[in-house]
Amino acid sequence: MEQRRQSFFSADDANYLARAEAADRANEYLYRVLDIGQYMLQSGAEISRVEDSIRRLCTSFGAERTDVLSITSSIIVTIYAPQFGAVTQTRRVGGQQYDLHRLELLNQLSRRICTEYLSLEETEAALDDIRSAPQYPFGVQLLTYALISASFSLFFGGSVLDAVASGLIGVVLRYLDRSIRSTEANAFVSSLICSCLGGLLAALSVRIGLGESVDMISIGNIMLLIPGIALTNSLRDMFTGNTISGLLRFSEAILLALTIAFGFAAVAALM
Amino acid sequence: MDYVLQLAAAFSGSMGFALLFQVRRGKLLLASLGGLLAWAVYLALGPAIPQDVPRFFIASVALTIYGETLARVVKCPATLFLVTAAVPLIPGGSLYHTMRYFVAGDFTACSAQGLSTMLLALAIAAGMIVPTSLFQLVRRVRVWRQRRDELKK
Repeated sequence: MEQRRQSFFSADDANYLARAEAADRANEYLYRVLDIGQYMLQSGAEISRVEDSIRRLCTSFGAERTDVLSITSSIIVTIYAPQFGAVTQTRRVGGQQYDLHRLELLNQLSRRICTEYLSLEETEAALDDIRSAPQYPFGVQLLTYALISASFSLFFGGSVLDAVASGLIGVVLRYLDRSIRSTEANAFVSSLICSCLGGLLAALSVRIGLGESVDMISIGNIMLLIPGIALTNSLRDMFTGNTISGLLRFSEAILLALTIAFGFAAVAALM
Repeated sequence: MDYVLQLAAAFSGSMGFALLFQVRRGKLLLASLGGLLAWAVYLALGPAIPQDVPRFFIASVALTIYGETLARVVKCPATLFLVTAAVPLIPGGSLYHTMRYFVAGDFTACSAQGLSTMLLALAIAAGMIVPTSLFQLVRRVRVWRQRRDELKK
Protein backbone atom coordinates (compact mmCIF):
# COMPACT_ATOMS: atom_id res chain seq x y z
CA MET A 1 0.00 0.00 0.00
CA GLU A 2 2.77 2.36 1.05
CA GLN A 3 4.68 1.50 -2.11
CA ARG A 4 1.74 2.32 -4.32
CA ARG A 5 1.02 5.65 -2.74
CA GLN A 6 4.60 6.71 -3.28
CA SER A 7 4.37 5.96 -7.00
CA PHE A 8 1.31 8.16 -7.18
CA PHE A 9 2.89 11.27 -5.75
CA SER A 10 6.40 11.08 -7.09
CA ALA A 11 5.46 11.13 -10.76
CA ASP A 12 8.61 11.94 -12.68
CA ASP A 13 8.67 15.44 -14.16
CA ALA A 14 8.91 14.45 -17.81
CA ASN A 15 5.77 12.39 -17.60
CA TYR A 16 3.97 15.16 -15.80
CA LEU A 17 4.93 17.75 -18.42
CA ALA A 18 3.84 15.50 -21.28
CA ARG A 19 0.51 15.05 -19.58
CA ALA A 20 0.01 18.76 -19.04
CA GLU A 21 0.87 19.44 -22.67
CA ALA A 22 -1.57 16.80 -23.86
CA ALA A 23 -4.24 18.31 -21.63
CA ASP A 24 -3.55 21.74 -23.15
CA ARG A 25 -4.00 20.41 -26.64
CA ALA A 26 -7.11 18.52 -25.64
CA ASN A 27 -8.52 21.75 -24.25
CA GLU A 28 -7.89 23.55 -27.51
CA TYR A 29 -9.52 20.80 -29.55
CA LEU A 30 -12.44 20.70 -27.18
CA TYR A 31 -12.89 24.45 -27.54
CA ARG A 32 -13.31 24.07 -31.31
CA VAL A 33 -15.62 21.11 -30.88
CA LEU A 34 -17.79 23.24 -28.62
CA ASP A 35 -17.73 25.99 -31.25
CA ILE A 36 -19.19 23.55 -33.73
CA GLY A 37 -21.74 22.35 -31.21
CA GLN A 38 -22.72 25.90 -30.32
CA TYR A 39 -23.23 26.95 -33.94
CA MET A 40 -25.23 23.80 -34.62
CA LEU A 41 -27.51 24.50 -31.68
CA GLN A 42 -27.91 28.15 -32.72
CA SER A 43 -28.75 27.14 -36.28
CA GLY A 44 -31.61 24.99 -35.05
CA ALA A 45 -30.17 21.46 -34.79
CA GLU A 46 -31.94 18.90 -32.64
CA ILE A 47 -30.33 18.20 -29.26
CA SER A 48 -29.61 14.60 -30.21
CA ARG A 49 -27.74 15.72 -33.33
CA VAL A 50 -25.59 18.15 -31.35
CA GLU A 51 -24.71 15.59 -28.69
CA ASP A 52 -24.01 12.92 -31.28
CA SER A 53 -21.76 15.21 -33.35
CA ILE A 54 -19.77 16.30 -30.29
CA ARG A 55 -19.29 12.69 -29.23
CA ARG A 56 -18.02 11.69 -32.68
CA LEU A 57 -15.75 14.73 -32.97
CA CYS A 58 -14.17 14.09 -29.57
CA THR A 59 -13.62 10.45 -30.41
CA SER A 60 -11.91 11.42 -33.65
CA PHE A 61 -9.67 13.84 -31.73
CA GLY A 62 -8.55 10.96 -29.52
CA ALA A 63 -10.84 10.94 -26.51
CA GLU A 64 -11.42 7.52 -25.09
CA ARG A 65 -14.62 8.47 -23.41
CA THR A 66 -16.92 11.46 -23.98
CA ASP A 67 -19.79 12.59 -21.79
CA VAL A 68 -21.98 15.28 -23.31
CA LEU A 69 -25.01 17.00 -21.93
CA SER A 70 -26.69 19.60 -24.04
CA ILE A 71 -29.81 21.62 -23.44
CA THR A 72 -31.03 24.46 -25.62
CA SER A 73 -29.03 27.06 -23.72
CA SER A 74 -25.89 25.20 -22.62
CA ILE A 75 -23.44 22.44 -23.52
CA ILE A 76 -21.30 20.52 -21.03
CA VAL A 77 -18.60 18.12 -22.23
CA THR A 78 -16.08 16.01 -20.36
CA ILE A 79 -13.59 13.97 -22.33
CA TYR A 80 -11.23 11.40 -20.94
CA ALA A 81 -8.10 9.66 -22.23
CA PRO A 82 -5.14 8.17 -20.33
CA GLN A 83 -2.73 10.64 -22.04
CA PHE A 84 -4.37 13.76 -20.64
CA GLY A 85 -6.81 12.65 -17.99
CA ALA A 86 -10.24 14.24 -17.78
CA VAL A 87 -10.89 17.60 -19.46
CA THR A 88 -14.15 19.51 -19.06
CA GLN A 89 -15.55 22.57 -20.77
CA THR A 90 -18.94 24.19 -20.68
CA ARG A 91 -20.51 26.64 -23.06
CA ARG A 92 -23.44 28.96 -22.61
CA VAL A 93 -25.47 29.17 -25.80
CA GLY A 94 -27.89 31.97 -26.59
CA GLY A 95 -29.82 33.40 -29.49
CA GLN A 96 -31.26 30.68 -31.63
CA GLN A 97 -32.17 31.46 -35.21
CA TYR A 98 -33.00 28.81 -37.76
CA ASP A 99 -30.35 28.72 -40.46
CA LEU A 100 -30.66 25.37 -42.17
CA HIS A 101 -27.97 26.14 -44.71
CA ARG A 102 -25.42 26.74 -41.98
CA LEU A 103 -26.57 23.60 -40.20
CA GLU A 104 -25.94 21.64 -43.36
CA LEU A 105 -22.43 23.09 -43.71
CA LEU A 106 -21.65 22.34 -40.06
CA ASN A 107 -22.84 18.79 -40.50
CA GLN A 108 -20.57 18.38 -43.52
CA LEU A 109 -17.65 19.86 -41.60
CA SER A 110 -18.08 17.54 -38.65
CA ARG A 111 -18.21 14.57 -41.00
CA ARG A 112 -15.07 15.78 -42.74
CA ILE A 113 -13.25 16.14 -39.43
CA CYS A 114 -14.18 12.60 -38.46
CA THR A 115 -13.07 11.02 -41.75
CA GLU A 116 -10.11 13.20 -42.73
CA TYR A 117 -8.82 14.08 -39.24
CA LEU A 118 -8.46 17.81 -39.94
CA SER A 119 -5.85 19.71 -37.94
CA LEU A 120 -6.77 22.45 -35.49
CA GLU A 121 -5.86 25.19 -37.99
CA GLU A 122 -7.85 23.61 -40.81
CA THR A 123 -10.85 23.26 -38.53
CA GLU A 124 -10.62 26.91 -37.53
CA ALA A 125 -10.37 28.04 -41.14
CA ALA A 126 -13.38 25.93 -42.13
CA LEU A 127 -15.38 27.32 -39.19
CA ASP A 128 -14.52 30.88 -40.23
CA ASP A 129 -15.76 30.12 -43.74
CA ILE A 130 -19.05 28.86 -42.36
CA ARG A 131 -19.43 31.85 -40.06
CA SER A 132 -18.99 34.26 -42.96
CA ALA A 133 -21.22 32.32 -45.37
CA PRO A 134 -23.70 34.85 -46.76
CA GLN A 135 -27.38 34.83 -45.85
CA TYR A 136 -30.13 35.82 -48.26
CA PRO A 137 -30.00 39.57 -48.96
CA PHE A 138 -32.44 41.85 -47.14
CA GLY A 139 -34.62 42.31 -50.24
CA VAL A 140 -35.26 38.58 -50.44
CA GLN A 141 -36.08 38.54 -46.73
CA LEU A 142 -38.70 41.26 -47.24
CA LEU A 143 -40.21 39.20 -50.03
CA THR A 144 -40.12 36.14 -47.81
CA TYR A 145 -42.16 37.83 -45.10
CA ALA A 146 -44.66 38.99 -47.71
CA LEU A 147 -44.86 35.50 -49.23
CA ILE A 148 -45.48 33.79 -45.88
CA SER A 149 -48.12 36.31 -44.79
CA ALA A 150 -49.98 36.24 -48.09
CA SER A 151 -49.85 32.43 -48.32
CA PHE A 152 -51.33 31.86 -44.88
CA SER A 153 -53.94 34.53 -45.35
CA LEU A 154 -55.14 32.56 -48.40
CA PHE A 155 -54.59 29.22 -46.69
CA PHE A 156 -56.97 30.03 -43.85
CA GLY A 157 -59.64 31.26 -46.26
CA GLY A 158 -58.92 34.96 -46.83
CA SER A 159 -59.67 36.72 -50.10
CA VAL A 160 -57.00 37.83 -52.57
CA LEU A 161 -57.31 41.39 -51.29
CA ASP A 162 -56.74 40.17 -47.73
CA ALA A 163 -53.64 38.33 -48.89
CA VAL A 164 -52.25 41.46 -50.52
CA ALA A 165 -52.84 43.51 -47.37
CA SER A 166 -51.29 40.79 -45.22
CA GLY A 167 -48.26 40.62 -47.50
CA LEU A 168 -47.71 44.38 -47.28
CA ILE A 169 -47.99 44.33 -43.50
CA GLY A 170 -45.51 41.43 -43.50
CA VAL A 171 -42.96 43.68 -45.22
CA VAL A 172 -43.48 46.39 -42.61
CA LEU A 173 -43.04 43.83 -39.83
CA ARG A 174 -39.73 42.68 -41.31
CA TYR A 175 -38.45 46.25 -41.21
CA LEU A 176 -39.67 46.65 -37.67
CA ASP A 177 -38.15 43.35 -36.63
CA ARG A 178 -34.78 44.41 -37.97
CA SER A 179 -34.76 47.73 -36.20
CA ILE A 180 -35.86 46.14 -32.91
CA ARG A 181 -33.19 43.45 -33.25
CA SER A 182 -30.51 46.09 -33.68
CA THR A 183 -31.37 47.48 -30.23
CA GLU A 184 -30.97 43.96 -28.77
CA ALA A 185 -34.31 44.02 -26.99
CA ASN A 186 -35.47 40.62 -25.79
CA ALA A 187 -37.69 38.34 -27.85
CA PHE A 188 -40.83 39.09 -25.86
CA VAL A 189 -40.61 42.86 -26.27
CA SER A 190 -39.98 42.50 -29.98
CA SER A 191 -42.95 40.11 -30.38
CA LEU A 192 -45.22 42.40 -28.40
CA ILE A 193 -44.36 45.45 -30.52
CA CYS A 194 -44.64 43.49 -33.79
CA SER A 195 -48.01 42.02 -32.87
CA CYS A 196 -49.41 45.37 -31.70
CA LEU A 197 -48.37 47.04 -34.92
CA GLY A 198 -49.59 44.08 -36.98
CA GLY A 199 -53.03 44.30 -35.43
CA LEU A 200 -53.15 48.06 -35.87
CA LEU A 201 -52.17 47.93 -39.54
CA ALA A 202 -54.65 45.13 -40.24
CA ALA A 203 -57.50 47.19 -38.75
CA LEU A 204 -56.36 50.28 -40.65
CA SER A 205 -56.14 48.53 -44.01
CA VAL A 206 -59.70 47.26 -43.66
CA ARG A 207 -60.85 50.83 -42.90
CA ILE A 208 -59.21 52.22 -46.02
CA GLY A 209 -60.71 49.41 -48.09
CA LEU A 210 -57.65 47.23 -48.64
CA GLY A 211 -58.82 43.84 -47.46
CA GLU A 212 -62.14 42.62 -46.11
CA SER A 213 -61.55 40.83 -42.84
CA VAL A 214 -59.20 41.90 -40.07
CA ASP A 215 -58.94 38.30 -38.84
CA MET A 216 -57.91 36.93 -42.24
CA ILE A 217 -55.29 39.62 -42.68
CA SER A 218 -53.95 39.13 -39.16
CA ILE A 219 -53.67 35.35 -39.37
CA GLY A 220 -51.04 35.64 -42.12
CA ASN A 221 -48.93 37.92 -39.94
CA ILE A 222 -49.55 35.82 -36.86
CA MET A 223 -48.07 32.78 -38.62
CA LEU A 224 -44.88 34.80 -39.05
CA LEU A 225 -44.61 35.52 -35.34
CA ILE A 226 -46.22 32.56 -33.58
CA PRO A 227 -43.76 29.86 -32.41
CA GLY A 228 -45.69 26.91 -33.88
CA ILE A 229 -42.56 25.20 -35.11
CA ALA A 230 -40.93 25.60 -31.71
CA LEU A 231 -43.99 24.07 -30.04
CA THR A 232 -43.94 21.01 -32.30
CA ASN A 233 -40.19 20.60 -32.00
CA SER A 234 -40.36 20.86 -28.23
CA LEU A 235 -42.69 17.87 -28.15
CA ARG A 236 -40.38 16.04 -30.52
CA ASP A 237 -37.47 16.74 -28.15
CA MET A 238 -39.43 15.28 -25.27
CA PHE A 239 -40.33 12.18 -27.29
CA THR A 240 -36.67 11.55 -28.07
CA GLY A 241 -35.72 11.68 -24.40
CA ASN A 242 -34.46 15.26 -24.17
CA THR A 243 -37.05 16.24 -21.61
CA ILE A 244 -35.31 19.31 -20.17
CA SER A 245 -34.76 20.94 -23.55
CA GLY A 246 -38.27 20.05 -24.58
CA LEU A 247 -39.74 21.67 -21.50
CA LEU A 248 -37.59 24.78 -21.93
CA ARG A 249 -38.66 25.25 -25.52
CA PHE A 250 -42.24 24.41 -24.66
CA SER A 251 -42.59 27.06 -21.98
CA GLU A 252 -40.80 29.58 -24.16
CA ALA A 253 -43.23 28.89 -27.01
CA ILE A 254 -46.29 29.19 -24.78
CA LEU A 255 -45.14 32.48 -23.26
CA LEU A 256 -44.28 33.91 -26.66
CA ALA A 257 -47.68 32.88 -28.03
CA LEU A 258 -49.31 34.52 -25.05
CA THR A 259 -47.41 37.74 -25.69
CA ILE A 260 -48.42 37.79 -29.35
CA ALA A 261 -52.08 37.11 -28.58
CA PHE A 262 -51.96 39.87 -26.01
CA GLY A 263 -50.52 42.28 -28.59
CA PHE A 264 -53.21 41.59 -31.18
CA ALA A 265 -56.00 41.50 -28.59
CA ALA A 266 -54.93 44.80 -27.01
CA VAL A 267 -55.18 46.56 -30.36
CA ALA A 268 -58.51 44.91 -31.19
CA ALA A 269 -59.90 46.14 -27.86
CA LEU A 270 -58.68 49.68 -28.51
CA MET A 271 -60.00 50.01 -32.06
CA MET B 1 -61.09 24.70 -56.49
CA ASP B 2 -60.84 25.41 -52.81
CA TYR B 3 -58.44 22.48 -52.46
CA VAL B 4 -56.24 23.68 -55.31
CA LEU B 5 -55.96 27.09 -53.66
CA GLN B 6 -55.10 25.52 -50.30
CA LEU B 7 -52.46 23.29 -51.87
CA ALA B 8 -50.91 26.24 -53.69
CA ALA B 9 -50.89 28.23 -50.44
CA ALA B 10 -49.35 25.28 -48.56
CA PHE B 11 -46.64 25.12 -51.21
CA SER B 12 -45.84 28.83 -51.15
CA GLY B 13 -46.08 28.99 -47.35
CA SER B 14 -43.54 26.19 -47.03
CA MET B 15 -41.34 27.92 -49.55
CA GLY B 16 -41.59 31.13 -47.54
CA PHE B 17 -40.41 29.42 -44.38
CA ALA B 18 -37.70 27.57 -46.28
CA LEU B 19 -36.43 30.93 -47.52
CA LEU B 20 -36.68 32.39 -44.04
CA PHE B 21 -34.58 29.49 -42.73
CA GLN B 22 -31.95 30.02 -45.43
CA VAL B 23 -32.54 26.81 -47.39
CA ARG B 24 -30.57 27.08 -50.63
CA ARG B 25 -31.85 26.90 -54.20
CA GLY B 26 -31.68 23.23 -55.10
CA LYS B 27 -33.39 22.12 -51.91
CA LEU B 28 -35.90 24.96 -51.84
CA LEU B 29 -38.23 23.29 -54.30
CA LEU B 30 -37.92 19.89 -52.62
CA ALA B 31 -38.69 21.40 -49.22
CA SER B 32 -41.73 23.27 -50.55
CA LEU B 33 -43.00 20.13 -52.30
CA GLY B 34 -42.85 18.44 -48.90
CA GLY B 35 -45.31 21.01 -47.57
CA LEU B 36 -47.57 20.39 -50.54
CA LEU B 37 -47.37 16.65 -49.97
CA ALA B 38 -48.22 16.97 -46.27
CA TRP B 39 -51.33 19.03 -46.98
CA ALA B 40 -52.33 16.79 -49.93
CA VAL B 41 -52.22 13.74 -47.64
CA TYR B 42 -54.27 15.61 -45.05
CA LEU B 43 -56.92 16.56 -47.63
CA ALA B 44 -56.97 13.13 -49.27
CA LEU B 45 -57.73 11.47 -45.93
CA GLY B 46 -60.71 13.77 -45.40
CA PRO B 47 -63.48 11.44 -46.63
CA ALA B 48 -62.07 8.38 -44.81
CA ILE B 49 -61.17 9.93 -41.45
CA PRO B 50 -63.17 12.89 -40.18
CA GLN B 51 -61.09 13.59 -37.04
CA ASP B 52 -58.15 15.96 -37.35
CA VAL B 53 -55.72 14.25 -34.98
CA PRO B 54 -55.24 10.94 -36.89
CA ARG B 55 -55.16 12.84 -40.16
CA PHE B 56 -52.38 15.08 -38.88
CA PHE B 57 -50.55 12.03 -37.60
CA ILE B 58 -50.65 10.23 -40.96
CA ALA B 59 -49.76 13.41 -42.87
CA SER B 60 -46.80 13.86 -40.55
CA VAL B 61 -45.68 10.25 -41.07
CA ALA B 62 -45.88 10.78 -44.83
CA LEU B 63 -43.83 13.98 -44.78
CA THR B 64 -41.22 12.41 -42.51
CA ILE B 65 -40.77 9.44 -44.84
CA TYR B 66 -40.43 11.95 -47.67
CA GLY B 67 -37.90 14.04 -45.71
CA GLU B 68 -35.80 11.16 -44.41
CA THR B 69 -35.62 9.55 -47.87
CA LEU B 70 -34.64 12.82 -49.52
CA ALA B 71 -32.06 13.51 -46.83
CA ARG B 72 -30.35 10.26 -47.78
CA VAL B 73 -30.57 10.99 -51.50
CA VAL B 74 -29.22 14.55 -51.42
CA LYS B 75 -27.03 13.93 -48.33
CA CYS B 76 -28.09 16.60 -45.86
CA PRO B 77 -29.74 16.70 -42.41
CA ALA B 78 -33.35 15.50 -42.49
CA THR B 79 -34.30 18.44 -40.24
CA LEU B 80 -34.03 20.68 -43.28
CA PHE B 81 -37.00 18.97 -44.93
CA LEU B 82 -38.93 18.10 -41.77
CA VAL B 83 -39.11 21.65 -40.40
CA THR B 84 -40.09 23.24 -43.68
CA ALA B 85 -42.50 20.54 -44.91
CA ALA B 86 -44.39 20.49 -41.61
CA VAL B 87 -45.23 24.19 -41.94
CA PRO B 88 -48.81 23.76 -43.31
CA LEU B 89 -49.62 21.33 -40.49
CA ILE B 90 -48.14 23.41 -37.66
CA PRO B 91 -51.05 24.52 -35.44
CA GLY B 92 -49.97 28.17 -35.32
CA GLY B 93 -53.46 29.54 -35.86
CA SER B 94 -54.86 27.21 -33.24
CA LEU B 95 -52.17 28.20 -30.75
CA TYR B 96 -52.97 31.84 -31.39
CA HIS B 97 -56.69 31.33 -30.80
CA THR B 98 -55.96 29.48 -27.55
CA MET B 99 -53.96 32.40 -26.22
CA ARG B 100 -56.49 34.86 -27.57
CA TYR B 101 -59.24 33.19 -25.48
CA PHE B 102 -56.89 33.26 -22.51
CA VAL B 103 -56.26 36.99 -22.89
CA ALA B 104 -60.00 37.59 -23.31
CA GLY B 105 -60.66 35.68 -20.09
CA ASP B 106 -62.75 32.96 -21.75
CA PHE B 107 -61.15 30.04 -19.95
CA THR B 108 -63.62 27.36 -21.10
CA ALA B 109 -62.92 28.08 -24.76
CA CYS B 110 -59.23 28.48 -23.94
CA SER B 111 -58.92 25.02 -22.40
CA ALA B 112 -60.89 23.34 -25.21
CA GLN B 113 -58.84 25.09 -27.90
CA GLY B 114 -55.64 24.53 -25.95
CA LEU B 115 -56.30 20.82 -25.67
CA SER B 116 -56.91 20.52 -29.39
CA THR B 117 -53.73 22.53 -30.12
CA MET B 118 -51.72 20.21 -27.89
CA LEU B 119 -53.23 17.12 -29.48
CA LEU B 120 -52.42 18.36 -32.98
CA ALA B 121 -48.85 19.24 -32.01
CA LEU B 122 -48.52 15.84 -30.33
CA ALA B 123 -49.87 14.10 -33.44
CA ILE B 124 -47.31 15.87 -35.64
CA ALA B 125 -44.42 15.18 -33.25
CA ALA B 126 -45.39 11.53 -32.83
CA GLY B 127 -45.81 11.20 -36.58
CA MET B 128 -42.24 12.41 -37.03
CA ILE B 129 -40.81 10.08 -34.40
CA VAL B 130 -42.12 6.83 -35.83
CA PRO B 131 -40.48 6.87 -39.29
CA THR B 132 -37.29 8.50 -37.95
CA SER B 133 -36.84 5.70 -35.41
CA LEU B 134 -37.50 3.08 -38.09
CA PHE B 135 -34.90 4.65 -40.38
CA GLN B 136 -32.42 4.64 -37.49
CA LEU B 137 -33.19 1.01 -36.72
CA VAL B 138 -32.57 0.00 -40.32
CA ARG B 139 -29.24 1.84 -40.27
CA ARG B 140 -28.18 0.20 -37.02
CA VAL B 141 -29.05 -3.27 -38.30
CA ARG B 142 -27.03 -2.55 -41.42
CA VAL B 143 -23.99 -1.41 -39.42
CA TRP B 144 -24.32 -4.42 -37.14
CA ARG B 145 -24.47 -6.80 -40.09
CA GLN B 146 -21.45 -5.17 -41.68
CA ARG B 147 -19.47 -5.65 -38.49
CA ARG B 148 -20.56 -9.25 -38.19
CA ASP B 149 -19.51 -9.96 -41.78
CA GLU B 150 -16.13 -8.35 -41.17
CA LEU B 151 -15.64 -10.47 -38.09
CA LYS B 152 -16.43 -13.62 -40.07
CA LYS B 153 -13.68 -12.81 -42.53
